[in-house]
Amino acid sequence: MTFSDETLNAYVDGELDAATHAALEAAMTTDPQLAPRIARQRALRAQVRAAFAPVLTEPVPERLLASVRGAPGRAGNVVAFQARPRPRWSWPQWGAMAASLIVGVLLGPVLLRPSAPQQAPLETSGGRVLASGALAGALSQQLASSQPPGAPVAIGVSFRARSGGYCRTFLLREAQPLAGLACRAGPAWQVVALAQSELPGTGSGYRQAGSVLPPAVSRTLDELILGEPLDAAGESAARAAGWKP
Amino acid sequence: MAELRAELVELLPRLRRFARVLARDAHDADDLVQTAIERALAHAGQLRADAPLAGWMFGILRNAWIDEQRARGRRGRVFAAAELGEQVADPAHGAPLETLAVQDAVARLPQEQRLAVALVLVEGLSYKEAAHIMEVPIGTLTSRLARAREALQAMLGERDGA
Repeated sequence: MTFSDETLNAYVDGELDAATHAALEAAMTTDPQLAPRIARQRALRAQVRAAFAPVLTEPVPERLLASVRGAPGRAGNVVAFQARPRPRWSWPQWGAMAASLIVGVLLGPVLLRPSAPQQAPLETSGGRVLASGALAGALSQQLASSQPPGAPVAIGVSFRARSGGYCRTFLLREAQPLAGLACRAGPAWQVVALAQSELPGTGSGYRQAGSVLPPAVSRTLDELILGEPLDAAGESAARAAGWKP
Repeated sequence: MAELRAELVELLPRLRRFARVLARDAHDADDLVQTAIERALAHAGQLRADAPLAGWMFGILRNAWIDEQRARGRRGRVFAAAELGEQVADPAHGAPLETLAVQDAVARLPQEQRLAVALVLVEGLSYKEAAHIMEVPIGTLTSRLARAREALQAMLGERDGA
């Protein structure tokens, strides 16, 4: 009796009916060709399974856990996920991100501010863009839960980044409002994303401030955030600790 | 709903593995998982109490993948070069050569064969379950599986012999 490849496959896959199963095992004792054919199929199955097994033990990305939880402000506020360009950077390339994520913003006028250079909210240092002046002050001191309406800077979400440090989103109420994301880098705040904000910043709680984040900034947030944003108590505690992780 | 969410969290590693067989690129695969989760939560009412969640989710993920492939087809081949680059750069650094060779071979299979491999060989589903998810008769599944196995043997054998 001869057995087709499909029959042998079904045997390896545990799908053979009892009668054929018995016939095949009986034939294996007499047909020297059968055992190696079956062994090859077994090995292939094991090989394919093994090649993808490591995925099971990888840490599950936070964004997937968040979407199972249906985390507010993340699944809903962002446009259809497929339509979003995928972030491609990884954490160590962070420094290099600063330039590429400053979207549609003419930095010159903001940085130079010839009339009052000491009040510029941004400065560059070693290729990085750092918060300065009122922005640096607000990032270090201002709490989202209690910020004066109309302050030059509105703080949005504060969160722990995957790297361990703290980051905060902000809105700069310039003539052209700018929204951005800054992360604590030693004693400074490095601005890792900055884009024109479409809406004037009127929000005070993190929901409002979060919902006006331009896509470039919210993508960066999605990529960096570890867990959920800090609540008011967490934010306050982080400030008390000088934003040291 | 809370129960469904808890079960989904447990299922995430398998969903990610399934998606990785289909899409290979880890980012694309996780995008598929996320789309599937969002669709599942939006249509949670359609899940029958007696149906296994895994099978339902694999079906949703498969549909999301097919949609994505079609959308890509419409967008043209603009991204093809970039994707090939990613395939070289992306898979886990330091993965054993054999693992990469097998992943490569699976990625070269036609879509329908890859799906059969993902469901039966990797996920270990029965022919009946896999055929149901693929929306084809069992005979179609088994012949795709047989062709996929031949192709994999040929690709991997070639390499071993080289």
